[in-house]
Amino acid sequence: MVTGRLRGSMGPLAVALLAFSCSEHRSSGKASATSREGVEWFTDRARESGLDFVHFNGMTGAFHFPEVIPPGVALFDYDNDDDLDVFVPQGQMLGKRALSEALKQPQVPLKSRLYRNDLEIHESRAHTLRFSDVTDASGIAVHGYAMGAATGDFNNDGCVDLYVTNLDVSQLFRNNCNGTFTDVSKASRAEDRGWSVSASFVDYDRDGWLDLFVGHYVYYSIDTDKPCLHSIGSLVDYCPPSVYRPQPGRLYHNNRDETFTDVTTTAGMSREFGPALGVSTADFNGDGWIDIYVANDGAPNQLWINRHDGTFTNTGLLAGVALGADGEAKGSMGVDAADFDHDGDEDLFVTELAREGHDLYLNDGSGVFVERAATAGIRLSSLPYTGFGAAWFDFDNDGWLDILTVNGAVRHSAEALTRNEKFALQQPKQLFRNLGNGHFADVTEGAGAALRTPDVSRGAAFGDVDNDGDTDVIAANDNGPIRLLINNVGNARHWIGLRVLGRQGRDIVGARVGIVRANALTLWRRVRADGSYASASDPRVLVGLGDTAAIINKVRVEWPDGRAEEWADVPVDRYTTLKEGEGR
Amino acid sequence: MLCAVSCASSDERKTVDRASLRPVVLPDLSRVEESVQAQVRERYAVLLGKQKDPQTPDADLGKEFGEMGRLLMAAEFRDPAEASLLNAEALDPGEMRWSYYLGYLYRGKGDIVNATVAFERALQSAPNDAPTMMWLGEGALDQGRTNVAESRFAKALSLQPRSAAASYGLGRVALAQKDYARAAQHLEQALALDSTASVIHYSLAMAYRGLGDQRRAESHLQQRGTLQIRPDPLRKELDELLHSALTYEKNADVAGARGDWAEATEYLRKAVTLAPTRASPHHKLGTALFYTGDKRGAHEQFQEAVRLSPAFAQAHYALGVIHEESGDYQAAIESFSAAVKYEPVNVDARLGLANALRRSGQLAPSLSEYERILKIDPGSVRARFGYVAALIRLNRYQEASERLAEAMDLYPNEPVFARAATRLFAAAPDDRVRDGRRALAIGHELLRRQPRTLDLVETLAMASAEAGQYSEAVQWQREAIESAERAGRRDATQRLADNLERYQAGRPCRTPWRADEPIEY
Repeated sequence: MVTGRLRGSMGPLAVALLAFSCSEHRSSGKASATSREGVEWFTDRARESGLDFVHFNGMTGAFHFPEVIPPGVALFDYDNDDDLDVFVPQGQMLGKRALSEALKQPQVPLKSRLYRNDLEIHESRAHTLRFSDVTDASGIAVHGYAMGAATGDFNNDGCVDLYVTNLDVSQLFRNNCNGTFTDVSKASRAEDRGWSVSASFVDYDRDGWLDLFVGHYVYYSIDTDKPCLHSIGSLVDYCPPSVYRPQPGRLYHNNRDETFTDVTTTAGMSREFGPALGVSTADFNGDGWIDIYVANDGAPNQLWINRHDGTFTNTGLLAGVALGADGEAKGSMGVDAADFDHDGDEDLFVTELAREGHDLYLNDGSGVFVERAATAGIRLSSLPYTGFGAAWFDFDNDGWLDILTVNGAVRHSAEALTRNEKFALQQPKQLFRNLGNGHFADVTEGAGAALRTPDVSRGAAFGDVDNDGDTDVIAANDNGPIRLLINNVGNARHWIGLRVLGRQGRDIVGARVGIVRANALTLWRRVRADGSYASASDPRVLVGLGDTAAIINKVRVEWPDGRAEEWADVPVDRYTTLKEGEGR
Repeated sequence: MLCAVSCASSDERKTVDRASLRPVVLPDLSRVEESVQAQVRERYAVLLGKQKDPQTPDADLGKEFGEMGRLLMAAEFRDPAEASLLNAEALDPGEMRWSYYLGYLYRGKGDIVNATVAFERALQSAPNDAPTMMWLGEGALDQGRTNVAESRFAKALSLQPRSAAASYGLGRVALAQKDYARAAQHLEQALALDSTASVIHYSLAMAYRGLGDQRRAESHLQQRGTLQIRPDPLRKELDELLHSALTYEKNADVAGARGDWAEATEYLRKAVTLAPTRASPHHKLGTALFYTGDKRGAHEQFQEAVRLSPAFAQAHYALGVIHEESGDYQAAIESFSAAVKYEPVNVDARLGLANALRRSGQLAPSLSEYERILKIDPGSVRARFGYVAALIRLNRYQEASERLAEAMDLYPNEPVFARAATRLFAAAPDDRVRDGRRALAIGHELLRRQPRTLDLVETLAMASAEAGQYSEAVQWQREAIESAERAGRRDATQRLADNLERYQAGRPCRTPWRADEPIEY
């Protein structure tokens, strides 16, 4: 059965088996990106929609290392009303310093916040986007200095749960399916101690229950905080991670009774680790089992290949994804995996520090990669910027996955320090358009002022916030206001939106979705909420179909347990739920 | 004629409108290291003097702007450095260095397009400058223009046939073009020309991977490092320009990584002179002296570092290492404990402490320490091994064998556990632990994969005896004795002879390690 879930979907275009597709190649110019000339591609609508969150990092001018790391952000439908709500983690003062010592006074009360999306879609197809702060009513009370978030329905009750990473102790909030959450960190034994930034819910053992990987950064305490000097002497700046010792990440196995067991050592994952900032889970070697990629800051990244027996082997180095093209360990931050070149496997994109250049790792299908950022046209444009959150998404719905990175430096220039500037780390975002031929064009300039506005951006969550058929972006800024970058152009082209649910009503992260087209390559996408940086994205699969005719033969779902199902009559230009067991 | 030449020169001097020069404004230097302040201000004063003098020839003024520019660049004041170098270029157009440094400055900002333009200008002034050509090659690689990069590196190589950097560039171009055979050829050449440049190994590994030679690929991955190819002369000048303790420390780090501890010591002595009250240069100087063999000098420097900064964990750790080397376990324990106190997650210090405790016979506390290390770093093979060694010394053989079995599962490529397990299964006094056949199986597998060491041969003798194969045990033991004699291991010969007698008499060994025999990683 196919269930339409979207209120006010695109009526006239919602025709089963309607023919749309994209051309296989496209040009790089602004005009070809959208047919809506004169429209800014993205517009920041955070404040006007009620997303009034302003992050606070507790900075006092002492340049404490944790200040430059958060925040992430989560987009998830906590109340099952078919639209995306927003969770943003909040910082606090570090150590025992009084709030009055902060260089910038925060929004009070100081707490991580949950915003409910009260989206209204009218008959005219116009919509009203409105968020309400429901933190108190939700019962989400985050302790300490929060970093990021991961989402997933760990107890298979059909309601998405929330994991909040932290400088000290992470928390798991079970969704009670009534608009409230319960802190089950202790009871679930997922109360992870240590500085964690990115985490991911992943069913690595294919038992139908989401396990949890938590990436740890470094051992840090305010008592052992180290001052780092600029090379010209007494100017203090933020430290590089190499000053501190990395902490091993943890893998928690879901016991199917709302508890987890730490299996890091027995899974073989305690042997190699670095200061982890990003995590992306996907089947990288095409064997049907989910693997785990960990992006480390200033140390080799890991590619944990699933050995099908509860253990993993790190193949990162030989696979060619541990280091940059020249073998340099980079400051890897954000990461995402997707089939950007339509060859059916998961390629990787990793954001890096300024002057390092982002990495684009092309998969040969067997989990062996070559780094191609320079030839793809990404390296050159990315060199001036420090990238954090990033994802593959088809911003203009032409069928080719583009990339958006949100940026912000981590160290100051000597000039800024001599001017006594304490947080001059702002940088614009960047949008790279996939030209469909292995090359990308930096189209930031034409994408609108919202992308060019410099921020100290960290997390980025991707999803169709206004349910209009294109992907929007929430950018979380360090010590600054959140941005809601509404996509104004994507739905000028056709699209197909899919929510892929298991029998229990859970989004089946890790499932592969193939849009099988006549006379064109199948478009493969993955159901995922992880990736980017410290953030959780919309698990729905939104596939751009372009604007020229072709036939969609069927939609194929390859479930993580190895089975596959197909649906033949999936409508376009609307969201459809594909439920396990209801296909062919 | 002379006059004509002189007049012409005078005309040339006035070709640049000085009002059009970019202003070079010094940043606020009040919070910059004093030696750097002095260096910058002195250079700036000279520049101002020349600038005020209308008789200063363009080229001379250009030179001053250039020197000012690269000094500001070394201090990472990029904006005034850029202005200064642009003025230098305008005033002294025949001098390639200013364009070169501008190119390098733009690269530092990640602005490859402007860097390329500047390097092209440098090349116009010095068409055969190989380093500039290589920077242009690097810029082309950044842009994915492999054909351009190839021609730049090839030309550089033709000018400097022994340039590791040019061969390395060509190797990376070939890698980007997926021509793995050619890549391997160039990269091998680069490595032959600069064997300390461990960074080359990674590209070589990728080339051999592309050729399907996994063994070589893995071997190069194991050898990979971060040491770059030696910088070209202009860049080296820049790296060494700043009279700053931190710059000297940075240069010492590079020299030390190359194993050139004498050079590192030189840099660090300068750093200590400039920053006598900062602990870090003393600690680094101590390290450099340690590696040059001057243990006494090292000790003094570490002590000075600790005096200046009592909570400097690394300096306490270094003192611990020196004490332990000299066999003063009590002093080592004190120093390692201090390091741990100030940096509880310092795994090296904890490991030093645990080992010193174990070696000095304080076995129970050493076990606790090893456990703490494994909580911080579950992947610490040395801590895992040290824990087992302590258990063995405590005669807790059953636990030791369980730990070894677990470690062999977790670390199949770490033979140290298999070697210890073989000996324990062969000769543990605990009947529940001994298993001659298992010992033989593991031992023979080790023999297949590992070099035939004295330790392994002796262990195989123990295992054979335990399995009742006494004639084999005698053979292994005789080989071990010969090996020990060849190596001049008098400490081992008596022990080996005792066991030989035992095997000849048809008795197995029940002492896996004698009390005076170290159990070490």
